[in-house]
Amino acid sequence: MKTKFPELLRILTHAEVDFIVVGGAAATALGSAMITYDLDIVYSRSPENIQRIVAALAPYQPYLRGAPPGLPFDWSELTVKNGLNFTLTTSLGAIDLLGEIAGGGSYHDLLSDVGQIELYGIKCLCLKLERLILTKRAAGRPKDLNVIAELEALLEETAKHEAS
Amino acid sequence: MQELQSRIPRDPVIEAYKKDIDRTLLRENLRLTVEQRFDNLMSLQDFAEELRRAGRKLHEDKIS
Repeated sequence: MKTKFPELLRILTHAEVDFIVVGGAAATALGSAMITYDLDIVYSRSPENIQRIVAALAPYQPYLRGAPPGLPFDWSELTVKNGLNFTLTTSLGAIDLLGEIAGGGSYHDLLSDVGQIELYGIKCLCLKLERLILTKRAAGRPKDLNVIAELEALLEETAKHEAS
Repeated sequence: MQELQSRIPRDPVIEAYKKDIDRTLLRENLRLTVEQRFDNLMSLQDFAEELRRAGRKLHEDKIS
């Protein structure tokens, strides 16, 4: 199923959820040519924000991605509070809600390395390329080697683009 | 930018992978707006889905 990035970003923004776009979607925003199928966000773990994110996604049938249908998954503030990272499928596509990321930490830890992006009339925070590379490196997954190489090449090309 | 780049130490393995990166695609993307980059991504998702569908059909046709 295609992930509807504009709609997901719109509902989170309209609900005033505190979040930062990270992962493949952030890479796309910054100019990566790689394809991604989900929206990865780091969200603030404050009780108010958890309340907002639960209410915002509730109408879109959030469910654990890859889990067999019919499991007693309760999309609630308590579930989010008791967990940390959630890989979800929704009627708008796949979304990963991350309370923390390797090499990056929490929402508040990342705030020093974000920029604002604007798309489809929405303004939201996106992790900067340098920090994105550092988080991918910290994850230490062999499958990310090519991704890191592309992001580092992108960093070099961005510097040239901005200088020209 | 140079200061930020210096936070990322060079890794010889990554440098080896970097040689195969198509930088023309990155340069093209850098000329686009963020919105245009997401539009392209969603078009690619559609294309990938169509390729998967075609691949499944080919596989099924071979079996039958």
